[in-house]
Amino acid sequence: MQSIEIGTAVSSAPGLATGYLDTGALPDGRPVQIPVMIMRGAQDGPVLWLHACVHGNEYCGTFVLHELLHSLSSETLKGTVVALPALNVTAFEKNQRMSPFEGYSGGDLNRCFPGRADGSFTQQIAYAVYRELKRHANFFIDLHTAMTPDVRWALFPNLPNESGRVADGIARAFGFSSTLPAPADILAGAAAMTAAQDGIPSFLAEIGGKNANFTEEAVSDAAERLRNVMRHLGMLQGLVTQYGPLTYFSNFAWVHATRGGLFQRSVRCGDTVEAGQAIGQYFDLHGDKAGEAHTPHAGVVLAIHSGPVMATGETLIHVGLDPRQA
Amino acid sequence: MRDIEVGSAHSQGPGVTKGMLQVGYLPEGYPMEIPVVIVQGAQDGPVMWMHGCVHGNEYCGAYSIHQFIRSLDSAELRGTVVALPVLNITAFQRQQRMSPFEGYNGGDLNRHFPGNPGGTLTDQMAHHIWQVFRKYADVHIDMHTAMTPDTRWALFAPADGPAGARAETMARAFGYENVLPTPLSILGGSSLIEGAKGGIPGLIVEAGGLGPYFSMETVADVAERLRNVLRALDMLPGAAPPPGPVTFFSNFAWITATRGGLFKRAVQCGQRISKGQVVARFYNVFGELVEETPSPADGVVLATGAGPLMPPGEIVVHIGLEPRAA
Repeated sequence: MQSIEIGTAVSSAPGLATGYLDTGALPDGRPVQIPVMIMRGAQDGPVLWLHACVHGNEYCGTFVLHELLHSLSSETLKGTVVALPALNVTAFEKNQRMSPFEGYSGGDLNRCFPGRADGSFTQQIAYAVYRELKRHANFFIDLHTAMTPDVRWALFPNLPNESGRVADGIARAFGFSSTLPAPADILAGAAAMTAAQDGIPSFLAEIGGKNANFTEEAVSDAAERLRNVMRHLGMLQGLVTQYGPLTYFSNFAWVHATRGGLFQRSVRCGDTVEAGQAIGQYFDLHGDKAGEAHTPHAGVVLAIHSGPVMATGETLIHVGLDPRQA
Repeated sequence: MRDIEVGSAHSQGPGVTKGMLQVGYLPEGYPMEIPVVIVQGAQDGPVMWMHGCVHGNEYCGAYSIHQFIRSLDSAELRGTVVALPVLNITAFQRQQRMSPFEGYNGGDLNRHFPGNPGGTLTDQMAHHIWQVFRKYADVHIDMHTAMTPDTRWALFAPADGPAGARAETMARAFGYENVLPTPLSILGGSSLIEGAKGGIPGLIVEAGGLGPYFSMETVADVAERLRNVLRALDMLPGAAPPPGPVTFFSNFAWITATRGGLFKRAVQCGQRISKGQVVARFYNVFGELVEETPSPADGVVLATGAGPLMPPGEIVVHIGLEPRAA
């Protein structure tokens, strides 16, 4: 069995190996180390790479990876699962999307891949992670949360080649009904888009919500869907659950808030909306209603701001465009 | 008919008056102002002072005050409601407990009353609020959230004497089952205790949870309970509903985290627990269990940490001690 080494995590036999990968250094010189888990099956097979908290406060993904890894046993696993549960660890510590140590524009780690060894703080994290991902991964899954607990959608880079076809299969085996076969030109710098361009079939799941705004049921459901993906990929035995036809989109619209204030949503994820439809209510500091927010686009609500307060520029809504059964 | 002036909100007769109270300055010199709503009733009566977001990210309190205020009709009101829904405005903006502009020890505004006009930022905010609070408040309600959405408890002070009887009436009319008649020896510097020392009957409502972790159902329920408090004080017509069971405590105890890690609570708000019972579990970055935290006492769980991460020093659990039917 060939050795797999990622930072100090060394796996040379079936079972779980853990360690840390250096992704930079703090102002006092201490290394920024991120946890690495490698679960090696008794039989050789592909390497499935999963990571979470590329955005630091998207903790649901961390718990999903922990539950998944702890549910696996080497006797029944074919291949290897590599999991990095807290990618942007300094953001993770501070309950922020981006690192408090990023001093320049571009703190969104998921716009920095493949990274730069001599770039910004965040670009160097991307470089350290992607170098290992590209070396080891046969398949890649990235876990996110969007905002609210009812978020359930996914995307895969829909390249017109084998990796796109395999990614489509992964998406169907994960089975979120709202799924975007993503055009190749969106989300530049996202790990999934970068890996797909390097020939690694990739998939991204948004399992809500942010910070503490998720449930144990969401975690367990996602872990089970990931096991279903592994059955589909031949890494686990057992029948592949058929989740049935999905709803595909042509793209998704990312709408930023152009006003701020106290805000309460009036739609749920999965709702179908028309262009111009009201999606939430603003209030002022005195508690008076101060107008409604509207979606500029028709489609399916993929994510919506949770409130209770919203500044300009925050994500108001993500809308899946041109829904079709697929 | 009363003349009540709080900042730029100047009420000279029945009706609704809105304005802003300056509590300090921002570093660039802009005023730091907080919202004020005064609803003066057609009939004279007591002044109910209610405030929220003394801790900036306890938004459920602001929403509850807003919903309550919108429901008031000054034709029906006897007396006046003075509402300051957002006290710590800069913390409110930054989704923090304490102001991001507080550079010195002691950012918890609810430990700084009556304040100091020449002290720290938080001392000065407390001073400007206290000046008007002390001038007008006959009775006082302070809205808090603790951490998790299932938080439902209340504190009243003083615990005895005529002011204590009035405070207890408010607590019973609000109607949460778990209530602490608060000794004047704890929570020094809070508006509740400092007000009580000056003879102002007060009620703290802990209706969860923190940040976005509350529902509009909770807001509606709290607003109705606030109306019941006013009914019990003869400030609104109609009878408060018959009181339900109430459990008093002698005091409350808490544990703070003495390690960091991923956190899952093992108990719920309202649950009776025994000394030694596991109240929380800590996990490391690999999802391995590293601590099961035992309760220090018998009692009732009043609040728990939410996680998902826990730095040392944060609240793990608040426990109501020596519960007795009252």
